[in-house]
Amino acid sequence: MNAATFPTRPNGIRVRPATGGLVAALMLMVLVLPGRAFAHAALVAADPADGTVLVQSPAHFSLTFSEPVSPLVLTLVRPDGTRLALTSFRLTDRSVEIDNPETLKSGTHVLSWRVISEDGHPVGGSALFSIGAPSVAPFAGETVDWSLRTAIWIGKLLLYAGLFLGVGGAFSLVWLAEYRRCGRRFVVGAVLFGLVAASVSLGLQGLDALGAPLARFAAPAVWETALETSFGWTVLIALSSLGLALLSLAGPRVPRKLVALAGLVGVGAALAASGHASAAEPQWLTRPLVFLHATAIAFWAGALAPLGLALRYQPAEAKIFLRRFSRAILPVVAVLAASGIVLAIVQVQTPAALINTAYGRLLLLKLALLLFLFTLASVNRWTLTAPAEAGDTEVQRRLVRSIGIETLIVLAIFGVAAGWRFTPPPRALAIAAAQPASIHIHTLQAMADLSITPGHAGQVAASMVIMTGDFGPLDAKQVTLVLSKPDSGIEPIKRPATKPGDGTWRVDNLVIPLSGRWNARLDILVSDFEMVKIEAPIDIRAD
Amino acid sequence: MKAHVFAAGALFALGTNAALAHITLETQEAAVGSTYRAVLRVPHGCEGKATTSVRVQIPEGVISVKPMPKPGWTLQTKKGRYEKSYQLYGETLTTGVKEVDWSGGNLPDEFYDEFVFRASLAADLPAGQMLYFPVVQECGDAADRWVEIPAAGQDEDALENPAPGIKLLPKK
Repeated sequence: MNAATFPTRPNGIRVRPATGGLVAALMLMVLVLPGRAFAHAALVAADPADGTVLVQSPAHFSLTFSEPVSPLVLTLVRPDGTRLALTSFRLTDRSVEIDNPETLKSGTHVLSWRVISEDGHPVGGSALFSIGAPSVAPFAGETVDWSLRTAIWIGKLLLYAGLFLGVGGAFSLVWLAEYRRCGRRFVVGAVLFGLVAASVSLGLQGLDALGAPLARFAAPAVWETALETSFGWTVLIALSSLGLALLSLAGPRVPRKLVALAGLVGVGAALAASGHASAAEPQWLTRPLVFLHATAIAFWAGALAPLGLALRYQPAEAKIFLRRFSRAILPVVAVLAASGIVLAIVQVQTPAALINTAYGRLLLLKLALLLFLFTLASVNRWTLTAPAEAGDTEVQRRLVRSIGIETLIVLAIFGVAAGWRFTPPPRALAIAAAQPASIHIHTLQAMADLSITPGHAGQVAASMVIMTGDFGPLDAKQVTLVLSKPDSGIEPIKRPATKPGDGTWRVDNLVIPLSGRWNARLDILVSDFEMVKIEAPIDIRAD
Repeated sequence: MKAHVFAAGALFALGTNAALAHITLETQEAAVGSTYRAVLRVPHGCEGKATTSVRVQIPEGVISVKPMPKPGWTLQTKKGRYEKSYQLYGETLTTGVKEVDWSGGNLPDEFYDEFVFRASLAADLPAGQMLYFPVVQECGDAADRWVEIPAAGQDEDALENPAPGIKLLPKK
């Protein structure tokens, strides 16, 4: 976005150097914001592993994820269905070590977890294990709270409307419109809606993070939790951006343009601070792209309502507005489309995912709406704009109607985009599918870390690290991996491992035909005459 | 009587069935403090390949080992220090054979052969327990390792490659 795109008024202050600096500072802030960010976190290993039967109550639990997480709610559900909140835990890299405060009675327990990863979206799950012998599993209650989901969706939709129509509208009034009365009330209304939506959304984010019902909306813990997520940044930046928009409309005359521009840049920054697309790799690409995409949307969508209203009520004064807008809109739409296409490719990865995943289907819906919108916009730009500028009142009326429809489509697109809040992108699904299945086998004579990558049925590779039972080095002469699934009637799969030289043992080109619980055995030749065999179950996912 | 013969025959058939695939010792029990003649029975090669060497590890407490040479095979022994000293015919033994190798031979998969050594079982070996002789059977590049020793309570039949062993009987 370049300030030079727009004609400055003769008596306007020279804002360009300051503006450039501000834009650069905000861009930098977006890039630096919450350091590392990846996809949704996926559980890699649990101890006790899902389905394990233990002889006695464990002193600790541990959960290992595909990326660093922070726990939001950790609960142990006892066999009788009562819940025990687990509050004492430690974070080490990607693992959460949880203290077990009580001696567990026999029966099946559920370790239920809810954590948040860097994209600001909470994920949850549970692992079942039994003491002594399995009993009927208690109900862990990881169900979808539809009223909360609807509230989050509406909050998000209104936040988008506030940011794009409100802040973007204020920008267009200040920079493009000559006569600022028309559309001013609409823009102020949108900004006020946005202010409410931003605040409410923060609370809803907190509820979702903790898995709490709507009734706990006012609880301080809910808001504190929400502020700790990356969405907290989005809300804080959005609030300041909305405030700047109000200031640019009501404030003193001189720094008006600067304030409006800062507000517009804030829209980009707010959306780049959290969300799926901003959390995607590579960060240096996705965050600036989200920033550009959002800023361009705000420019375009924000101008629609003031422009339509100006054409309707003050056709004479609207001509300059229309000319400035139509001159600037082409590069803006180019930026919008280019950034959108690149982000879609990063997120969706394969064309098949457009149809196979909820995320992809929402994208298709959004593309269909966009197609409609672009058709309308091109008609407006290339056939209606020139006669409207020339003062043809009939064409002006058609343009106003068309702009009204455009605004509605834009709102529908915001609604679709708000739906992405609940669908992990194919990129994240692919990362989760590629996660290895890992186990740790520990016996007196030897221990091993075995990872099968990816951890689902099909073509995989196995990697093993072998140690002595007391964590010492074990220079094995030979290691053989034996995978068996006694309940499937498949003969054990036996493969000698090779030593690539990095201290691990590997089996490449291994095909696991079925998902489910396999028995992994490692035959470790310690010396010529000494073979140690260790084994443990490993769960292979279906996809 | 007939029933007994039948039962014995069935037992024999079942017993050998499992053992047919493995390298085993012909005499499967011996008294501690006695001389033991170990006959290693090699029923086949490694997955169809001809056997080219047979190596046996001598466990602690088996002393004064003397292997029997075989025509067509190079016989070697590896000597080492015992974990403790043993008395045999008034002599104190602290070192001796720890491993016997018959190598450089060629025993096709479809043939059978035996490898023999003689040894003294120390008098202080624990009677009533099993004593195992891990064996590595090599067939060119391939190898079968008959080295698995059942853990306490584990069924020997569950092992894929059990080491041949004998039951130690009380001293006569």
